[in-house]
Amino acid sequence: MNTLYLREERYFKFLDELSREYRVYLPVKAQGQALACAFGFKAATADYALEKYSVVPKDEIIFNEYRTIDSLKSFFSPPKEKVASDFGSSSGIPGDEKVAVFGVKNCDLFSLRIQDFVFLGGAAVDPFYEKRRRNTLLVSGDCLNFKEVCFCAALDIMPYALDGFDLNMSPLNAGFLVDVGSDKGREVVEKYASYFLPATDTQISARQKKREAMLKKLKEHLVLHNIPRKEEIPGIVRKGYDSAIWKERILTCVECGGCNMLCGTCHCFLLSDKKSGNVNEKVRSWDACLYLNFARVAGGANPMKNRYQRLRNRYLKKFDFFPANIDLCACCGCGRCIEVCPGKIDIREILNSLAKEAAAANEYSTG
Amino acid sequence: MENIYQPIEGIIEEVITESPTIKTFVVRPQEKFEFRTGQFIELSLPGIGEAPFTPSSDPNIKDKFDVTIMNAGKITSLLHNTAPNTSVGIRGPYGMGYPLDTFQGKDILIVGGGVGLAPLRSLLLALFGRMSDFGKVIMRYGARSPGDIIYKSLIPQWQQKKNFDMVVTVDRSDETWKGNVGLVTALLKGLPINMNNAVSIVCGPPIMMKFATLKLLEIGFKPKDIYLSMEKNMSCGLGKCGHCRIGKYYICKDGPVFTYEQLKDLMDIWD
Repeated sequence: MNTLYLREERYFKFLDELSREYRVYLPVKAQGQALACAFGFKAATADYALEKYSVVPKDEIIFNEYRTIDSLKSFFSPPKEKVASDFGSSSGIPGDEKVAVFGVKNCDLFSLRIQDFVFLGGAAVDPFYEKRRRNTLLVSGDCLNFKEVCFCAALDIMPYALDGFDLNMSPLNAGFLVDVGSDKGREVVEKYASYFLPATDTQISARQKKREAMLKKLKEHLVLHNIPRKEEIPGIVRKGYDSAIWKERILTCVECGGCNMLCGTCHCFLLSDKKSGNVNEKVRSWDACLYLNFARVAGGANPMKNRYQRLRNRYLKKFDFFPANIDLCACCGCGRCIEVCPGKIDIREILNSLAKEAAAANEYSTG
Repeated sequence: MENIYQPIEGIIEEVITESPTIKTFVVRPQEKFEFRTGQFIELSLPGIGEAPFTPSSDPNIKDKFDVTIMNAGKITSLLHNTAPNTSVGIRGPYGMGYPLDTFQGKDILIVGGGVGLAPLRSLLLALFGRMSDFGKVIMRYGARSPGDIIYKSLIPQWQQKKNFDMVVTVDRSDETWKGNVGLVTALLKGLPINMNNAVSIVCGPPIMMKFATLKLLEIGFKPKDIYLSMEKNMSCGLGKCGHCRIGKYYICKDGPVFTYEQLKDLMDIWD
């Protein structure tokens, strides 16, 4: 379908209409924290959080310039959820409600490819994830700026989406260019056709210029961080298996698991059983591989008892396991793990250091 | 859509004490349940907890199954305190199991250690049901001490089987023991099998698996013919929860039985 145009004042009305059918989530400004950049980059300090449209005052509806604090994963697998109860009690699968999420960025869409592989693929489909995924309308938007920690483009993930969304919004003048990326998105624009105008070629080429300018600005920042190319990362991480870098960088880790929790691609969970009154429940909760007992087995043996093994595990999972299975690095470059880390552990720096070490080793071995 | 996390009910029919720390539970599933030898299940005490186990009974018996469980942690110690008629949850079976059909016409060498004999019992019973499909079936089993040997009353019956050769050894002997003393790996030399048309199967504690594998390679087995039962803290059983990753595999989904060929280039497989 061709690109459409939605004028800003019509956008609010469109949200009103849509919210009768969907539970709509929108980005709102949230208290941000300023992170100093090692290279003097003046970072944007605003943060965005997703909030229910029904509670957001009209004058606080904004277009987020970059990604929100949280990734999208909690929309599909919440941090803690009952997934089974007593035998014979078929409580059904929740997630019938239709949900629309605005303010999605391309990094988040990329992460969903990893989550989809985990929960929709493999030995069986996760019915909880599947239903919510099916009933969720994803409305992405171009990034107009970036945070100090953003490094999507270093991994060839663009700060604007070309696929993976239902609808995409690119701000332009006093409105948005709207692209349709799925049947679900098409149904919405057809249903609310009166809100949309066809976009002009001039508008489309103006958007292209905006996108290119944004990408250029981001890349100028990223060049300072010198992150290895994504094709090289799996080899570098594998080669660095016995590197001292893991042992050095883990020193400031407080094992909070924040990197895992905020990560859009981290998907690990723990199934546990508990009693809730007279009912026995099986509960799924997010788990973190930085936690001490992540790999502990019965009897107490723990193949990852050292903290550096757990830090390394996080990288091996992202940059060895996923590339080997689906030819994708499970990192979207959102930088959430960098931002959240009280120990200032920086994935960009670790990849860069591993790359330097691998290059030095190569030089040594080839004489 | 089916809820993949919902257990079915099983009733513990009988509890058999195998050793001071090991018991076998005979479980009758209340719904249709079948497994292939080598696959594992998640067994839960409703409202308390869940852990992975490999059934130890003949997979051809469909109305009930056995699990042999060592008292090693929280769930296993609670299971050890259960009496017949206790209700348990069953999820699974999970994983790939032993590819018996690819063993046709070949000699089979089974190396077991300690409580690793539990899943191997299921394998043996499955093999006994179709012995004419295979060449020689040889088993070497080691336990730390005579008290750690499980299925003590069954082993002499198995040793009577035609075309089946089983030798048991203990690391440390006591006054009751008349048999072999020494590590199980010491029993792997000079076996009358044709390495070019044989497979070996190893199941036991990680350290024993490691040295058995090295010994099998030394006596001429190819990495693709060595089958290892790997174990980690499998939780979901479906390759989703992320706990049992080993290199590019999940033990729950891609294993728990792997050939050494699949694992040999991975790091820290014996941890």
